[in-house]
Amino acid sequence: MSSEDGSNSMTGGRRRCISPAAASMPDVDDLLIEILLRLPPTPSSLPRASLVCKRWRRLVSAPAFARSFRARHRRNAPLLGFFTQRESSISFTSTLDPPDRLPSEHFSLDLDEDRCRILSCRHGLVLIHNPMDPQFLVWEPVTGDLSHVALPPEFSDGGSLVFQHAAVLRTPGDAGEGHSIPFLVALVGSDRTSTRVFACVYSSHTGAWGNIISTACPSNVPMYASSTMIGSCLYWLLGPMMAILEFDLDRCFLAVIDAPLNNCYYDVFQHRVMPAEGGGLGFLCLSGCNAQLWMRKMSSDGIAGWVLRRTIELDKLLSLNSEGALLILGLAEEDNMSFLLNGIDVTMVQLGSNQVKELFPIQNIGIHHPFASVYTAGMGICGGHDGAEPLHDT
Amino acid sequence: MASAGSGDEKAAAAAMITLISSDNEKFEVTEATATLSQTIRHMIEDGCTDGGVPLPNVTSKILARVIEYCKKHATAAAGEEGSSSSFSDAAFLEVDRAFLEELEEFDDAFLEVDRATLFDLILAANYLDIKGLLNLTCQKVADSVKGKTPEQIREMYNIVNDLTPEEEAEIRRETQWAFE
Repeated sequence: MSSEDGSNSMTGGRRRCISPAAASMPDVDDLLIEILLRLPPTPSSLPRASLVCKRWRRLVSAPAFARSFRARHRRNAPLLGFFTQRESSISFTSTLDPPDRLPSEHFSLDLDEDRCRILSCRHGLVLIHNPMDPQFLVWEPVTGDLSHVALPPEFSDGGSLVFQHAAVLRTPGDAGEGHSIPFLVALVGSDRTSTRVFACVYSSHTGAWGNIISTACPSNVPMYASSTMIGSCLYWLLGPMMAILEFDLDRCFLAVIDAPLNNCYYDVFQHRVMPAEGGGLGFLCLSGCNAQLWMRKMSSDGIAGWVLRRTIELDKLLSLNSEGALLILGLAEEDNMSFLLNGIDVTMVQLGSNQVKELFPIQNIGIHHPFASVYTAGMGICGGHDGAEPLHDT
Repeated sequence: MASAGSGDEKAAAAAMITLISSDNEKFEVTEATATLSQTIRHMIEDGCTDGGVPLPNVTSKILARVIEYCKKHATAAAGEEGSSSSFSDAAFLEVDRAFLEELEEFDDAFLEVDRATLFDLILAANYLDIKGLLNLTCQKVADSVKGKTPEQIREMYNIVNDLTPEEEAEIRRETQWAFE
């Protein structure tokens, strides 16, 4: 009775008689909501559901539904693409195939200051630092919410400490009904002689910075690239002589750990902290056309050390472009997805499964910040026609 | 002590609950099975289960399926409690894993029903407040529309498209990329 032909079913579907034997969805909105909340968190899910009928549209367009949908899927949010920065504008590039390929203009942000820099992208949030006006911007691209967080006075102009880097994340717990989940900003810096590292955490829940903690760190600052989060720890690579800074957020503890390669100069495009296979601290190092995956392991006598777990011969996965060496542009920590520059082409390599996805010629040399989020914009938010949402200062 | 023993027997006998479907069929179930339903748990706590629990919203056909689900999952819950005291024993972990796999297989087979039954199970799970069953059945429906176009979804569930052509055009314009 049903036609496979799309155009036919379009006209046939409208005002068609309902067969008495057919099952129909529950009349109770709450139950239909329970079903719709379990749709996959891919970007096309809700737009497609909203085109089924008025009732579905009304339910998925409710702001409370969008909040619940984001909260339910936050731990399996899909990798939507990445952000890059050129001068004062931040642009988005999707890495998904249609129908989930979000247009770039959905998530773009123009900053008035071209010295602003993306520091971190995690849990659906983007952290931007404005050096001219010592504050962070925390941007939630899906809702368009923008929050300002002033640096602690110790790291501001006239303070005794120097800001180096920062990371953004959501608090691990669930939000109360109807509330958005608070975020944290973890800041790391150094003293003026670069002999100690300092850190503290801002919580949007309390609206305040916590205590500053520190540890000795001989000549290993500043930090160049974004942090990697593994468990409850944030990791930054230190340079010029490579080492790893560990900031344990649960224990509020800082430590400096040696890198797998001794006496090696840190190269932002060759080295990355990443989750090890099976969890724990890992490290990715590009060497020629090989990707080395290292893992931090405790030996039988209780001393932690590095073990080379696996070497991926990238020349066997990719047709290497002769124009230049491979570079790491970014790493999605939750998916173990690396963005590599192969000549002029950006390629995604999933380091667990060795799956490769060729993307496109590079548009913007620089760090690619992977963006994983549950997309619900356009669903009842402002009712914009082109998807561009006004920014709300909070 | 003898009286305490007979008291236990009485408690065991009292731990059976009678559920009465809308078509007046009676089902004897253990309290452990029945209390997977929060609704029935509250009735037991309030002491209003004497003479059976009438469930006017659930037919015997659906109630039999719901009881089948609750029996299996009540055993699973009891099994977990029993083995947790021996968590260090690898053999028990192995048993746990096997049991979870079996439970998953049971759930998959349990969901092999026609859509009308699936929706009836959702209504019953909601009325009886059985979280696991509600999650399982709602997820099954959500999975069935995964990757489908709006036309296919309407076709599957006989939903009448009551959107005006203007509304439809507006949604397609706003989220054109989602229909490519």
